[in-house]
Amino acid sequence: MKYKVKYRDLTIIITGILLGFLVVLQARSFSNIQNITRDSQANVFQEIQILKTTNENLADEITNLENQLSKASNQEQALNSIQDEIQKDKIIAGQVDIAGPGIELTVKNELAGIWFTDIENELWAAGAEAVSVNDIRLTNTTAGFDTLPNGQISLNGVILTAPYHFDAIGDKKTMTEALGQTAGIIQRIKGSVPNVDIAVDPKDLIQMQKVL
Amino acid sequence: MEKEGYNWKVQLTFVFTGVLVGMLVTAQFKSAIPASSYPYDEYKIQQDLLKSYNDDQAVLKNKILNLRKNIDDKQKQTGASVQKNNLDVLEQIKQEIGLESTKGDGITITLNDSPFSQRANNEGSDQFLVQAADLRDVVNLVFSAQADAVSINDQRVIASTPISSVGNTILVNNTHVLPPFNISVIGDKDLLNQRLNDPTALPDLEKRAKGQKIEYSFQPQTNLVIPIYSGDFPLKYVQAANEPQS
Repeated sequence: MKYKVKYRDLTIIITGILLGFLVVLQARSFSNIQNITRDSQANVFQEIQILKTTNENLADEITNLENQLSKASNQEQALNSIQDEIQKDKIIAGQVDIAGPGIELTVKNELAGIWFTDIENELWAAGAEAVSVNDIRLTNTTAGFDTLPNGQISLNGVILTAPYHFDAIGDKKTMTEALGQTAGIIQRIKGSVPNVDIAVDPKDLIQMQKVL
Repeated sequence: MEKEGYNWKVQLTFVFTGVLVGMLVTAQFKSAIPASSYPYDEYKIQQDLLKSYNDDQAVLKNKILNLRKNIDDKQKQTGASVQKNNLDVLEQIKQEIGLESTKGDGITITLNDSPFSQRANNEGSDQFLVQAADLRDVVNLVFSAQADAVSINDQRVIASTPISSVGNTILVNNTHVLPPFNISVIGDKDLLNQRLNDPTALPDLEKRAKGQKIEYSFQPQTNLVIPIYSGDFPLKYVQAANEPQS
């Protein structure tokens, strides 16, 4: 028996094609939402750039250490060299007040604990030399955000309350660009936290107190 | 009646065919087009370049470790008697910032991808792969439990350590680390154990581990050794507050 294609059949097949189109688009949009939640999807060129910059910084560190070794080998300069190193290490350890240019990232809403960890990570990855959250310096002895049973975030035994201020000392242009890039931390937070009020403000001078 | 049944089946076939065609057409249009006419050549160049940078990085980090050891030895040799107090202070701060290796009791945590998942062939986020965010969450948890020293696959983790991902590659201190991820933590074993056993502490990780999507385990250890930090401490912008600004 020969079947004759009718106008209604054509409508059905076009509707089917449209439905298939929408199903794939929807599936892809769900997949994209999952991908932007926590980690950025940098590509191989960014990976090469990260490694290149890291190696340049390591080479600079070697130059500094070679100078330091030269001073340490000289009886007259040795004491000064040790005092210089103590001063530098005290800055890293958070044992002295510090200042410098940088950025202030402000979040006015409540934020889940994971975002504190991720913002801090992005700041270090963008070249921050010192970071504080609501005036608490992040060092080896203070690091670690704790989410309390009632959802509050605690850092170094202090409960943090909104607005949250993340201060970072470093290259303000590089840090501002890194945070604000496509699929960067700000876009990821905006995509995951409805109505979030988040802003980055470059500053010529940021001051941080030593860890108490 | 027989003709109506036949029509119904044919129309259903049309619907399925239409949906299938629609999906195929959409998938085709949304597929990424290789940037190069020679994708394999381009891939090989990229991989060679990455390997070259990684090899250079290993050499540079090794040199930094040797220089720090030489400086340490020199400082102890040169006028150690008159500088004893300074050297003690320096050693204590170095311990605090990760410039001394640390020994002690603690806990080891192991995270691994699902045996049914291939990291190299997956793109983007995947529930069956350990993500950089998982490592960050674990590190954050152990630091909040007052860990004294932490490392991931022998990379010393300090407060300023970035743990990031580039595609499915995970970078710790901007150095490639591959699964399985062994996180060593020196600190109060009981407190660390208590925090890691809290089902609300790492909910996503716990959920995926229970669903056998990734492998996650931890156990107490004695005499752990956590290596010295081998990276740099750039201080180009930060100054002690009492110093004049440049």
